[in-house]
Amino acid sequence: MTGKGVSYGVSKINNIIDVKALTKVFNGKVRAVDGISFTVREGEILGFLGPNGAGKTTTLNMLATLLRLTNGSATVNGHNILEDADAVRRSIGYVFQDPTLDLELTGRENLDFHGRLYGLERIVRLQRIEEMLEVVQLTDRADDLVKTYSGGMKRRLEIARGLLHHPKVLFLDEPTLGLDPQTRRSIWEHIQRLNQEKNVTIILTTHYTEEADYLCERILIIDFGKIVALDTPSKLKARLEGDVVSLVFKDPAVIVRIRPLLEEKEWIRSINVVASGNSYARMSHMIQMKRGMSVGIGIGGIIPGMDSGSIGGRGKIPKQVQQMLAKGMADENGQRGRDEGAKCLNLLVDNGGHRIPEIVKLVDEAGVILESVELHKPTLDDVFLSVTGRDIRDERGSFMEMARRHRIVQQARGRRIRG
Amino acid sequence: MVQPLSGQAIYVVLLRELKRYWRAKARIISSVAQSFFFLVVFGLGLGSFVDGFGSINYLSYMAPGVIGMGLLFGSVFSGVSVIFDRQFGFMKEMLVAPVSRTSIILGKILGGAATASIQGIILMAVAGIMGAFTPTIMFVAGAFAAVGVMLLITAGFVGLGVAIGSTLNDFHAFQLLSTFVIWPLFMLSGVFFPIDVVPLPLQVAMLFDPMFYGVELLRWCLLGAGTPLLGPLGWLISLGVLIGFNALMIGVGTYLFSRAQV
Ligand SMILES: Nc1ncnc2c1ncn2[C@@H]1O[C@H](COP(=O)(O)OP(=O)(O)OP(=O)(O)O)[C@@H](O)[C@H]1O
Ligand SMILES: [Mg+2]
Repeated sequence: MTGKGVSYGVSKINNIIDVKALTKVFNGKVRAVDGISFTVREGEILGFLGPNGAGKTTTLNMLATLLRLTNGSATVNGHNILEDADAVRRSIGYVFQDPTLDLELTGRENLDFHGRLYGLERIVRLQRIEEMLEVVQLTDRADDLVKTYSGGMKRRLEIARGLLHHPKVLFLDEPTLGLDPQTRRSIWEHIQRLNQEKNVTIILTTHYTEEADYLCERILIIDFGKIVALDTPSKLKARLEGDVVSLVFKDPAVIVRIRPLLEEKEWIRSINVVASGNSYARMSHMIQMKRGMSVGIGIGGIIPGMDSGSIGGRGKIPKQVQQMLAKGMADENGQRGRDEGAKCLNLLVDNGGHRIPEIVKLVDEAGVILESVELHKPTLDDVFLSVTGRDIRDERGSFMEMARRHRIVQQARGRRIRG
Repeated sequence: MVQPLSGQAIYVVLLRELKRYWRAKARIISSVAQSFFFLVVFGLGLGSFVDGFGSINYLSYMAPGVIGMGLLFGSVFSGVSVIFDRQFGFMKEMLVAPVSRTSIILGKILGGAATASIQGIILMAVAGIMGAFTPTIMFVAGAFAAVGVMLLITAGFVGLGVAIGSTLNDFHAFQLLSTFVIWPLFMLSGVFFPIDVVPLPLQVAMLFDPMFYGVELLRWCLLGAGTPLLGPLGWLISLGVLIGFNALMIGVGTYLFSRAQV
């Protein structure tokens, strides 16, 4: 009897985040988050993966009490997000996806503002600020105005700020977006250290599968507001039994021809097209998909909830992007050479190594020129592709980043207007 | 909607406003210069063929109004800057912190009131140098009172700005705000002409302008007299109206701000 009671109590404490049928509907029609349920153990690092617009940020915003949920419920650190928002906010730190620094303050002042807002005492505050500046290697720029920082420096400062008050739960929304590999690595290390030494529970969203693989104990893949997979990275990969054989073609147009031939083979469990080209090619591709032009193959490029009229959520398509798109379209329709980079077919095959000769023969007989063949064990990229039907490398692609950058520039302009 | 207040949070938001104000030198200079031009062109220009009222010359008559103009513009804009905080994302940083929105907005209001009043003090000095005031002991006392009045006036208008800023979501509404809110408030505040000489409809409109009472109160402080229309207790009436307006605006601003989502 008592045993049961105790174990119940323990499990309750262990689940520092408990989400039940959480739903967010925007403007009565956009189901951004559609009844998701999951729990996070104390001290766990959970990764959110999902295509653009899948609902990752919306979920975090609800858990952080910044957005009111439409339906369902959730507790963070034992506090209900609706009824006890203050206690929830005391338990969390949040590094937002979009920039939230005060550009007119210095780096140190931004941290100081945060420390005071979270009620850190002077001595602790000053010490932590120095410590965090050291971690993100901004000590020598700490007294410069943030508007003079590079993008990567701003991102590092934001991460430092989110960690400053040593929260119990930390939300990191694409923490390393746009950082160079070296900085990314040092941020990873810090995240890990924080997690281990301070037992901070972390939810992080990312489009870098290697980041999720490296840091996260479990990975939650979300698509169209629903959870499509939730497991440890190794189990997720193990689900895709077999091997991935990648066929790279010189001429992407042949994919349309070769695909049906491959589909006939019962030992090929799935076929996916992965675009690997320059950003123009990928971008123009997305637009074509959107306009309903047939491209014969379903390359994942549609961004739910992002129509061409509202890139980045606000305002019209930036002229720059328009021009680039126009260029891309013209290239695609007209005299585009074969310069858009090779395209790749990923086949999920039982016992891949043994099938390669057969596959090569088949392609050869079809009169198609192969550029290269590659064999590898399924990675998280492959898992992502198999459950969402989209190539994750597209999701962090130029398109969104350009839109986002545009918005930042636009905002900077707005500020200047104000004087 | 009773939310606990955090002194530290109020202070830090206030501090931020002051720092930002101080760093935007161009803004300080341009708004002081603007008021200065008003004083020179209208005060001296119009003043050369308008006699003034009673013992008060036209420049002196206008000076409190022009100070009021600086207060009005400064305070409404600093309230409306919640739009910018939202656009630039910094609002999220404040809203996700474990402090009540009331604390944040009180910090904002105090900060806006402080910066706009600093502006007002600078203008008061400029007008003084131009000879708008008679330097007596009484005036010195009045000037100190005027600083208190400035804080009172601006707090309410920052509240108004916050209310507007929390309702509107983009810069584009800015033009509308300026044309349909700030300018009418300014024009009807009795800067250029006394209320008792204008036609009745205009008089009524002026009586509905809270800024009118602010300017009245400033005149009481700086010139020792107000409009005959409100009588010898005009300062008390004005004070009462302003306090009421303040309470209303701070309440409405706080409410609308608390309701807004990111
Ligand atoms: N304030 C809002 N009003 C209306 N719709 C919104 C709002 N915020 C988000 N959405 C919509 O909700 C959906 C989910 O958006 P969300 O930002 O959560 O996606 P995400 O998974 O974080 O994507 P990304 O990888 O691009 O950051 C999208 O369709 C988006 O357009
Ligand atoms: Mg997001």
